[in-house]
Amino acid sequence: MSSNIVDAVKTNVLIIVVLLVALCGGSAYGVETKKVRLAHLIATDEFMGRFNEPGSVFYDGLKKRLYVTDSGNKRLVSFDEEFRYLSELSHKGFSIPLSIVKTSTGEFYITDAETGQIKFVDVKNRTIVPLRIKGMDEKERFVAGRLALDEKENLVVTDRLNRRILVLRRDGTLLKTIEPGVEGLYGFVDVKVDEKGYIYAVDTLGRKVYMFDRTGKLVRRFGADNRIMRFPVSVAVDSRGYVYVLDRHSGRILVFSGRGDLQYLLLRKGVSPGELYNPGYIYIDVEDRIYTIDGNRVQIFVEGDQ
Amino acid sequence: MKRTMTIICLTALTGLVFVFYSAAYAAKKDTRRLCLECHKEVDGFFDKKRVHKPVAGGQCTACHNPHASKHKDLIGADREELCYGCHPKDRLFRGKVVHQPVVEGLCLECHASHSSDNPWLLRGKEVELCFGCHKKEEIQGRKFVHPEVESGRCTTCHDPHGSTLMGLIVKENMCISCHNAGSDGLKMAHSGLNVKGTRCLSCHSPHSSDNAGIVKANVHKPFAEKRCDVCHEPGSKEVARKGYNMCLACHDGTMQSFYKRYNHLMAGKEGNFCADCHTPHASDERALLKDREDKTCWQCHEDTEGFTHSARYVHPDLKKCLDCHVSHGSNARYMLTAGDNTCSMEGCHPSQGRFTHPVGEKAIDPRSREPMNCSTCHNPMGSPEEFILRAGKVVELCIKCHQI
Repeated sequence: MSSNIVDAVKTNVLIIVVLLVALCGGSAYGVETKKVRLAHLIATDEFMGRFNEPGSVFYDGLKKRLYVTDSGNKRLVSFDEEFRYLSELSHKGFSIPLSIVKTSTGEFYITDAETGQIKFVDVKNRTIVPLRIKGMDEKERFVAGRLALDEKENLVVTDRLNRRILVLRRDGTLLKTIEPGVEGLYGFVDVKVDEKGYIYAVDTLGRKVYMFDRTGKLVRRFGADNRIMRFPVSVAVDSRGYVYVLDRHSGRILVFSGRGDLQYLLLRKGVSPGELYNPGYIYIDVEDRIYTIDGNRVQIFVEGDQ
Repeated sequence: MKRTMTIICLTALTGLVFVFYSAAYAAKKDTRRLCLECHKEVDGFFDKKRVHKPVAGGQCTACHNPHASKHKDLIGADREELCYGCHPKDRLFRGKVVHQPVVEGLCLECHASHSSDNPWLLRGKEVELCFGCHKKEEIQGRKFVHPEVESGRCTTCHDPHGSTLMGLIVKENMCISCHNAGSDGLKMAHSGLNVKGTRCLSCHSPHSSDNAGIVKANVHKPFAEKRCDVCHEPGSKEVARKGYNMCLACHDGTMQSFYKRYNHLMAGKEGNFCADCHTPHASDERALLKDREDKTCWQCHEDTEGFTHSARYVHPDLKKCLDCHVSHGSNARYMLTAGDNTCSMEGCHPSQGRFTHPVGEKAIDPRSREPMNCSTCHNPMGSPEEFILRAGKVVELCIKCHQI
């Protein structure tokens, strides 16, 4: 009889503990943490060696190629659709390649952290030429940060010095300067454009995401509690218009609706595969796969358990 | 029989009432006399100029439990609770900046609990108390000393409990409460410029300096040469160029130090990334930093500051950020001065790399697939674990990589 009671108590305690763990493990500060599956992890390969401070990725949905700027190794590395190493381009013009985009016509543009310039990469002829910005006062300083392409394949680039985003034609002609001039803006560290042409930029120190329409008008800015959004460093948008904000200090991805409401969190802090320790960049491809750069590894996630 | 019982009951009741009133009298009305019967030293409390109100009223039991206590000196509660019971912390010591002893409830570090010859029941002279923690030579020890500092009147400018202003400063524009900003004398001293509305502390040390006028130790060259027009419109406080262009007009070569994989090249709080960290006139810090190294960094890295403050163990030189990190730019992660070799720099940790656990290419972390370094196991920014380990040293740390 007494052993039955003890067993019953043990079972109940176990159930309570399991429920508590499930509740705590599934949310942080009252926000649900959703699961994602680590589909691929690229860090080292017998042919390509090891990455050295990769800067960003770009996925060409037409040719199904992934491109990674390997900053420390001064090269551009490509992978096939199954993320196997294909080839690389090393060039003295790659000082510290940081950000990369590729147009549908096969033109590559990178930003170079050592010069603060945008560079046009002619892969076929293996030449790299700095892009001269036309329509801007030559005395005006500009330091290129991150790059994105808008729906017309214009270059959208953050200007690290001036709290602004420039929209340039691919020949370097300045089309637009997006400069919200609002209180509490410290500078944009990353930019992405969604399918509808909305531009999203993240301000790390201000802990905010800025959303602009295609005319450059500020539509909204949003963020989250300082305990969750601690040091946002990169932003991406999926096909639903959900905004993904990569937070370096918390090792999480914060997912917002297009209206700026925090929906859920992804991942957790850690160094094991499938975790984020010191992430610096997030990218979402046309198939809604999520790429993160964390130290010397590129991790590719797919939402959902399966 | 009934009568006898009534008498017994009444006697007992009277006895009880007597005992109760005697005890209450002893406890409430004259505990002082009662306590003094044994504690002769208490008499000396009343020789001092100022006596704590409960002591003067003979209410020893306001703070002490006459029977038993788990606290030293039979104190009735934690010292913090005891003081804040009558002197409410939230009401009296509020402010975004609170003096550390107040935070920790160490009231008796400065105040005597019974009596004192000093105002506010201070344990000693105001200045002596302050110099008990704050280095005298750094405050008073230079050639030119602020008169209030020289006379040891720290509380003229600082609130010893809490303030809404950094440095526990009593009020905004503290300096002009004594110095008339618009006066001719002050104008003369500033090359004829009306300094009304300027931040005095951007040039002057509030305590002491080896420079005349208590100007801070390190001075920007044009400022030292009184060539204000290098940066300012003649006779005006307006700067000649906008934002960072002002600084880069002379320091263009410095830009190169920012062109790195990781850098601090961003508009920042001031719209001029130089002015986020440096002051254009004078500073007591190296490289004309605006404030102490850690404070300068934490003005932007507040999340890191919060993390370090909540950690049980931190690197002992945590406040010297620039001993390990580069301030402008670095190709190494975390903007470390010497990448993975930062810990062994300048003989700080010479055993790095020759320690029992291998590091570098011969020891790849199976989780991150990166070569191990000191920070694989240690987190210099802070940890709940001893030796700033990333997990418990007995088992947890090792099994992160070595499965058992």
